[in-house]
Amino acid sequence: MSDTMYADIGYQSLLKDGQFVCGDHVERIDRDDGSVVLVLADGLGSGVRACILSTLTSTILSRLVAEDIPVSTCIHAVVAALPISSVLQLAYSTFTVINISPSGRAILIQYDNPGLILFRDGQEKPIHFLQTTIEEKTIESAEVQLQEGDVLMVFSDGAENAGVGPGMSYVYSWGRDNIAEYMAPFSRVGFSAKTLNTMFLDECSRRYGGKPGDDTTSLTVCMRTRKQANLLIGPPANRDDDDKMLSLFFAKQGRHIVCGGSTARLAAQYLNKPLTVVMNQKDTDDDIPAIGRIEGVDLVTEGIITLQRVLEYAKNYLEDNSAYTQWCYKRDGAAFIARMLFEEATDINFFVGRAANPAHQSPDLPINFSTKMQIVYDLSECLKKMGKTIRVSYF
Amino acid sequence: MTLTVCIGSACHLKGSKETTRILEGLIDEHHLRDQIQFYAAFCMGNCQNGVSVSLDGTVYSVTPETAQQFFETEVLPRIGK
Repeated sequence: MSDTMYADIGYQSLLKDGQFVCGDHVERIDRDDGSVVLVLADGLGSGVRACILSTLTSTILSRLVAEDIPVSTCIHAVVAALPISSVLQLAYSTFTVINISPSGRAILIQYDNPGLILFRDGQEKPIHFLQTTIEEKTIESAEVQLQEGDVLMVFSDGAENAGVGPGMSYVYSWGRDNIAEYMAPFSRVGFSAKTLNTMFLDECSRRYGGKPGDDTTSLTVCMRTRKQANLLIGPPANRDDDDKMLSLFFAKQGRHIVCGGSTARLAAQYLNKPLTVVMNQKDTDDDIPAIGRIEGVDLVTEGIITLQRVLEYAKNYLEDNSAYTQWCYKRDGAAFIARMLFEEATDINFFVGRAANPAHQSPDLPINFSTKMQIVYDLSECLKKMGKTIRVSYF
Repeated sequence: MTLTVCIGSACHLKGSKETTRILEGLIDEHHLRDQIQFYAAFCMGNCQNGVSVSLDGTVYSVTPETAQQFFETEVLPRIGK
């Protein structure tokens, strides 16, 4: 992606009740030129057979599309490769291809999945697809220029039919258009792709009563402007480096987050502004120490305990994101950091000071220097997995 | 008079939130809001003996268990109660 546009991508599957593998598959390829290719495939049936079909389809298609092979050739290749079911005499998997260039130009190809939805300014913006027939399949393709704030969503039919079936609560399919109407208001709030996707799948799961009748997969892409966040953690190992570390930190654009009491004092001295602690903040978590305030700094928090919680949130975000209900609204340091890093920032710079806090080395405290370094490392790895660009500098 | 409770990492783990709550409660109970300025501060550099509580610059070591006693023996006498 270019310096200005960034595709924030989230996808996840709910397994059909009783199955151990998913019959849907999402494949993602990030190309060197900054473009990204995404394929969501839904294999015929469920279980291992469907899993093989959808994995093959999405893997072959994404690789070929990423090599700029013409669509018809890609589809011939898929059809030739899919094993024919001995039971149904069919080789079948639906697919949707999203290929986004660094400028935000998107090539969309779909076959038999519920139609892609594009949200712009909180409303569905219709996409005009052209139909072609390749290998007796009606393939739809379109090209659109994406803008900042656009949200693209695609899902397998398990989502469209959520809650329908024997013993289920709904008689009629939820339907693609109703889903578009349901998600439209959320699309403009500024949620991350992962969060939007989780909200949607949570609703699918609720409609299924927690027991999906089909594999249910959803993929969400949010087009965003790149945003930087900078985190300052710990004083430098050598005091002579204080000014160097702080001047590099404050020279960066974007959010400035200062973690740790001694670090906050350094920052306050550097800026020549008072450091105060915010007392009696509402909606906080009792386990997270209070936040502070320094004019010129976006957020001042305690260090290691707060970051430990942020790391827990980050790990959970990469799993089922269930802790979202906590960090999305709370007003404690960990929740503030989580919102700034997970939802807002696309590029994050860590400025890590290696000074060991002598008070933390006591064996009766669950915090020490190596814990701090480990937390920073683990957190940066989690953020990379969220698709963010991470830079860590040590002082 | 200024009363400041440390909320740094070590003091936090030793119960500074609870200590803060108790001390604030006692200040209200004795109607001393206008006589005691109550603050929280990041690490006071006295982590080994947390929870650190500073009374006009003198640092004391207080825990949630000793907070009430601290208030009665150190804070109240200073304001002549």
